[in-house]
Amino acid sequence: MSDDKPHASGSISPGDTSERVGMAVLRERGLDPEELREKLIDAIGAEFTTYYYYTNLRMHLAGHEDYKEITEDARLEDRAHFELVVPRVYELGGHLPNDIRDFADRASCPDAGLPVPYDDESGQLDITTLTAEDVLEVLLEAERCAIRTWTEICDMTRDVDPRTYDMASRILQEEIEHEAWFVELLSMERDGEINPAGHFVRGEPGDAPYSTNRRFNDSA
Amino acid sequence: MTSYEVELVAPGDCDVEGIDSGRSETITVDEDEYVLSAARRQGVWLPADCQQGWCTTCAAELLAGEVDQSDATRYYDVDREADMILPCTARPRSDLRLRICQMDELNDLRAANSLPPGRSR
Ligand code: FES
Repeated sequence: MSDDKPHASGSISPGDTSERVGMAVLRERGLDPEELREKLIDAIGAEFTTYYYYTNLRMHLAGHEDYKEITEDARLEDRAHFELVVPRVYELGGHLPNDIRDFADRASCPDAGLPVPYDDESGQLDITTLTAEDVLEVLLEAERCAIRTWTEICDMTRDVDPRTYDMASRILQEEIEHEAWFVELLSMERDGEINPAGHFVRGEPGDAPYSTNRRFNDSA
Repeated sequence: MTSYEVELVAPGDCDVEGIDSGRSETITVDEDEYVLSAARRQGVWLPADCQQGWCTTCAAELLAGEVDQSDATRYYDVDREADMILPCTARPRSDLRLRICQMDELNDLRAANSLPPGRSR
């Protein structure tokens, strides 16, 4: 290799793998990459727990096949959001918590559990009074939290970190669609009100038209 | 409708639009309003994320006064005993004085008590 390395610049020595230019450029622009990384772990913790909780919420929409289908879209798209951002955590020198309990504990949005009491005696959820309206309300509030989270991340990264910003804005677009879906469904279910979401159907469940990792990386 | 005066005190290391670090600002908050949304409406961009009283991003120390924190989705007795509050879901029940930007302090308190978000944060 030539002694003259025209590609080498900045404070990281050529060949030094202990540091990352991809992080240094953020620091140079005033964004703390470690702080961003930790926030991303919290945010994808929420996407991952939501994927889990929506599985259970969806099961309990039995008989409301239209609601189930839409919840399935949201569920699979939240998983796509987790998978879209996971690589970014590692690029920023981080990793997923080794213990899934730590991961769930630090999720930035509340657990989207079924809003019913747990019967300690029988070890079962008491779903006798559960309604579709109750489930839709949990779904709606989960989406609202996600919108706030990804908007905050857009604010942190705008004009500074185009890669994270691009991911966050893709996810945000879908979270905003999800909110509109559940506003529409809850309005009708609870209040008999027509409040259209204005969306077109997905091509297939969990299509994630903005955020799916496949368009970036076929192996994911 | 009753309104309260809420003084927001920013520590020296707290970088929040609308308050110079190390200084304070006073806002007005209606009794049925959350402190965080009232602050943002009045130009003080308090840190926040979930706005559901869960994530701790907005944590503040209650230096004086009383709040209704019942809308928070994850709030513990140890928080209350340490005068830590979550302004995103706190309604004033008196005039207040709050030290803002206390997320790290609240997370340390939670971790010391084996409560979430825990040590991995
Ligand atoms: S913003 Fe999440 S607890 Fe207040």
